[in-house]
Amino acid sequence: MSQHPPQSIPASMIVEALRVEGVRTVVTVPDTHQRTVLELLATDAGIRLITCATEDEATAVAAGLWIGGDEPALLIQHAGLYASVNTLRGVAIDGQIPMFYLIGLLSREPDRVPRDSQRSMVRYCEPLLDVFSVPYALLEGPEDVAQIGELFRRSRAKRGPAAALIGMPTA
Amino acid sequence: MPIQPLAALRAIAELRAAAIVVPTMTAVEPWHRLSPEGITVPCIGFMGGASSLGLGLALAQPQRKVIVLDGDGSLCMQLGVLATNAGAAAPNLYHVVLKNRVYQVSGSQPIPAADRIDFAAMARGAGYAAVYAFDDLEDLRVRLPEALAATGPVFIELTTEEMPDPPKGGVIAASFPAEAAAARAALGPSS
Repeated sequence: MSQHPPQSIPASMIVEALRVEGVRTVVTVPDTHQRTVLELLATDAGIRLITCATEDEATAVAAGLWIGGDEPALLIQHAGLYASVNTLRGVAIDGQIPMFYLIGLLSREPDRVPRDSQRSMVRYCEPLLDVFSVPYALLEGPEDVAQIGELFRRSRAKRGPAAALIGMPTA
Repeated sequence: MPIQPLAALRAIAELRAAAIVVPTMTAVEPWHRLSPEGITVPCIGFMGGASSLGLGLALAQPQRKVIVLDGDGSLCMQLGVLATNAGAAAPNLYHVVLKNRVYQVSGSQPIPAADRIDFAAMARGAGYAAVYAFDDLEDLRVRLPEALAATGPVFIELTTEEMPDPPKGGVIAASFPAEAAAARAALGPSS
């Protein structure tokens, strides 16, 4: 654990970080952890919100958006990452499509780092990203929001996936 | 009587104009031969993703039509796309499904419910703006212009024979990353 307990990040800070990077569309399968971000995006005139039935679809929709000249980001939860691993591989890695993920760590215990979680859905997220060499950062509070821009730009520069893990429910 | 799939693709190629086309699986190689001009983005390496890829393109390029050439086995892998595509309501998305009732690349094993599945009914129930189903080539030729002029999302089910000369060993001779990059460069920024 870091010196400070994890804190909630205001949704407005996350949306503003996306806006600064030029994100025009967020593609989602709704995530409980980032509920307030979704609420804000639903009323935001500047960023389009597209809801998909599965994370496989969301990844491919984001790919089509990028090929078509848009700047998309994905908003999902860790279970959705597990469900869409083959599409992550085929689209973002082998397909060389920039793919920036906001991934909520639903059920993460605030007194444990995710890798030590007693819940497998939390514990396996970072190791899975490591297997696929996906760059990521764990956002543990408002001071970490700058990581969103850094990871977004990295996904574009390397034409592949990058992920920001949202450690606590957003405010 | 099932439609010969190359004849169906030829009919679509004649009407594509400036449409972006997203073929997948056995349709990829013949589509490239039949319609080498224009922007094609093949869905290769993530079976089931063709119409989602097409939806993203349609949303990003609203002034262009996007024609997806899906397979029935591929659609079965991501049936949720019917709800997603209907919900996104892109007026320029045309979702064609070649229904030959088998997983042809892996050896023509039957798809689930191969003898009774009705994708057109599913698409209608999901809420596509218009749904067409053809099992006769002449009927397709007569009504395809109407289908491709309708406001989308449009679903077009084509009952077909198996594709002649499917990819050997399941390896499709096309590159998703190369054609995706070329398409992005050609299309430019989203409007």
